[in-house]
Formats: sequence, C-alpha cells, structure tokens
Amino acid sequence: MTARYPPHVEAGIARGHRLECWTIAWIATVVPLMAVVMGSSQAMKTVWIEDMLGLIPPTVYLISTKLEKQAVTEKFPYGLARANTVAFVASAAALVVTGAFLLIEALMTLAMREHPSVGTVRAFGRDIWLGWAMILVLLWSTVPSMILGRMKLPIAKTIADQVLHTDAEMQKADWMTGIAAMGGVIGIGYGLWWADAAAGGLISLSILKDGVTALRASAAELVDGAPRELENDNVAAEAQQLKAVLGEMFPGAAVRLRETGRVIRAQVAAQPPAELLDLAAIWPGEPDRAWRFAQLSFVPPAGEQTTLPAV
Amino acid sequence: MRTRATWCLTLLLAASCSSEFPRDPDRTLDKIRAEQRIDVGLIAPLAASEPKVHALLDRLTQATDAVPAVEAGDAEPLLKRLEAGDLDLVVGRFDKKTPWAKMVTLGPALRTQKAGKTELRLVPVMRNGENAWIGLVERTARDVAPEAQ
Repeated sequence: MTARYPPHVEAGIARGHRLECWTIAWIATVVPLMAVVMGSSQAMKTVWIEDMLGLIPPTVYLISTKLEKQAVTEKFPYGLARANTVAFVASAAALVVTGAFLLIEALMTLAMREHPSVGTVRAFGRDIWLGWAMILVLLWSTVPSMILGRMKLPIAKTIADQVLHTDAEMQKADWMTGIAAMGGVIGIGYGLWWADAAAGGLISLSILKDGVTALRASAAELVDGAPRELENDNVAAEAQQLKAVLGEMFPGAAVRLRETGRVIRAQVAAQPPAELLDLAAIWPGEPDRAWRFAQLSFVPPAGEQTTLPAV
Repeated sequence: MRTRATWCLTLLLAASCSSEFPRDPDRTLDKIRAEQRIDVGLIAPLAASEPKVHALLDRLTQATDAVPAVEAGDAEPLLKRLEAGDLDLVVGRFDKKTPWAKMVTLGPALRTQKAGKTELRLVPVMRNGENAWIGLVERTARDVAPEAQ
C-alpha cells in the first residue's frame, strides 16, 4: 500500500466508492422489479438490460480502485493502475454489442408488426393495468439515477476518473431513457403498438452511444494516446498546456504525453537536466491538480539514438 | 428540452386517466360491443365441458352485452385464426411453457391439472396487443377462478 494522491483526491476516490456502492444497491432493487412488470414490452426489456449493464461501470470502479492500491510487484513493476482501462474496454465493448443487438431487435419488432401485450395484475383486491406499474418502476429507475449521476460528475472531474465520469454521464442521461420508455408504455395504452418498439429502438441507440463513447475513451488510453478530456475525445486542455511548458523548457525536443489511470506521464527526447525537477512546479494548470503530473522521463533525442559512443 | 419532454409526458399521463385506457390497436373490445358478438374458439374436447369456461363466457356477456358465438376445434387452426383477428377468444389447456405464449397472450389459469411432469393450465387466450380486451378477460377470469394469478 502506498499513499498515492493528495488528501482531497483520496477523499474523492472514497466518496466515489460510496456512491458506486449506493448505485449497485439501487440497481439491485430496480432489476428484479423491472423483470416482474416488464411483460412483453420491448422498451421495458431494453431499459431492464440497460439497467443490468449499468452495474458494469460501478463494479469496474470498485475493483479498479482496489487494484490501484496494490503495491508494485516484480511481475507488475508499474502497478495495476491501468487494470480499470482493460476492464473498461471490455465493458464498453459489451455496451456496443448489446446496444446493437437491442436496436436490431427493436427494428425487427417494428418490421414484424408485433403488438405488445400489457395485461393486468390483481393487487389489494383491485385489478391494475401493468402499464401503471411499469411507469412507477421506470420512475424508480430514473430519478435516483439522475441524482447519483449528478453527484458523481464533479467527483469524477476532481479525481480524473474516466470510469466514474462515463458512469455519471450515463446516469445523468437516464431521464431520456426513462421518458422514452414511459412514452412507449403510454403509447401502448393509447393503442399505438409501434410506440413501444420505437421507444426501445431509441433507448438502444442511447446504449450504443454510451458504448462507443466509453470505447473511444478507454481505447485511447490503452494505445497510449494523448490524455483526453473527460467530457469528449479532444486532447485535454491541461495536457496541451503541459506539453507547451515542456516544449519551452526543452526547445526543439519532442514531447510526448500519455495517461495511465488518472495520472499523466511525459517523455521528453532531450538530455536530462543535471538537477532533479519539481514536477508540481512545472505543472501549468490548477495547483490542486498538480498531482496529475506523475512522471517526467527523458530519452535520447532522435538523432542520438543510433549513435554509438566512440571506443 | 427536458422540461418540454416532461410536460408532454405529464399531459399524456393525465389524458390516459380516462375509462377508455388502455385501448386496443385493432379495436377488439369496441367491435365486440358494437356487434354484440364474441367469436370464441374452444379447443376440443375438454374445454367445452368445463363449468368455469361457461362461467367465464357468462360474465363476459354481462360485461360487454355481447353473445358468445362458440365453435370447437383443434388448437392450431383456432390459434391461427385468433392471431389473424378472426376470433376474439380461445379457451384451452396449455403447458406452462407452451411456445404459443409468444404468439398469443395467455390469461390467468381457470384450472390447473397435473399430467405426469406436465402442468396443464386451462386458460383464456387473446390476440397479442389488444390490451383493453386482454384486461377485461383477465379480470373476468380472476373473478371466475379467484385462485388464478
């Protein structure tokens, strides 16, 4: 175990941990409820699968934050900070495949003109249309999700965590899924058989979009791409500033930045300076994010790489 | 955009609190009431002799002011006609895991009978998606067989 980050980042990681535990506990209540009421509704089935897939990012976060704390070993001399990236690529791929599958299924349902049946259930001596139960469960699946997503978003930015950020964005956007599914259920009630499959198609598109976003972000890190913004695929502004500062410090030298886990590592093709550098002093961004700059290494400039010393 | 979507949904929800909700896409219940006839298929031979089937049809008559036009036959042709909309209701015995469950809607069991490892359930069967009619048949079946789920 090592003390890795400043206290405010460690506190953020712990808070993220608590929120992800809450998320898993909440999803564990939503999934069985959804299974009970979904009937033959395509939209409900899609939301149900989306909710189950929603277990992946919190689980990946919990596992990766645990792995991140592992001390380096002979077999893993750089630690396991990137384990979450590997897991996240896999889960993003699962999102893409499932989203595509559900989209095809929704289109097939539309093409086959399948009419969804939503029957009744007797509870407390009254017969209730299952559509109302579906809407209640959808509200339970949507509202806490939006709240949790909003709570996670600032933490993800503080601790520069791609998994937590993607999870937060997915949850924050859950209101669209909820409203689409409710629209589908109400559409069934109005006798619009196609509304349900159309809503299912829209929701599967959102799953597909989440998957592609997560895949691009995680794959970029895995292939040593330049650090990305959490919000999009652009190179992070703080990484660009850091590159510019290093470029000024080592004129003409090639500067490469990459992201491993939540930290940035820089490589400069230049002769190393005689004295040790203070990385926090070089960091051009907000001082409380200077911890992000974890390593500066030097490699021989391109021209010198093949030059053997004279004997 | 979020506010607009929420308002639209609220309006739809409010509008759906009428007595004519849910509705049938192919207006099965409206047609039954207008024509005062329920086209029923009984899967031969057992369904026709079941007292609970008669009780179900009697209660549906009361609820819709429509008279059942009953015909008996084999499962496959009756269910095909139900799917096509030529029949409004079929009653027969089915295994709990019958492949027909995806193509038509099976209502609550009027009676359950064990035959070896198979559990045969006497159920009303409706056309998929006709949710007003499905709801009425389900309610009536539960009244006829209170033990039904």
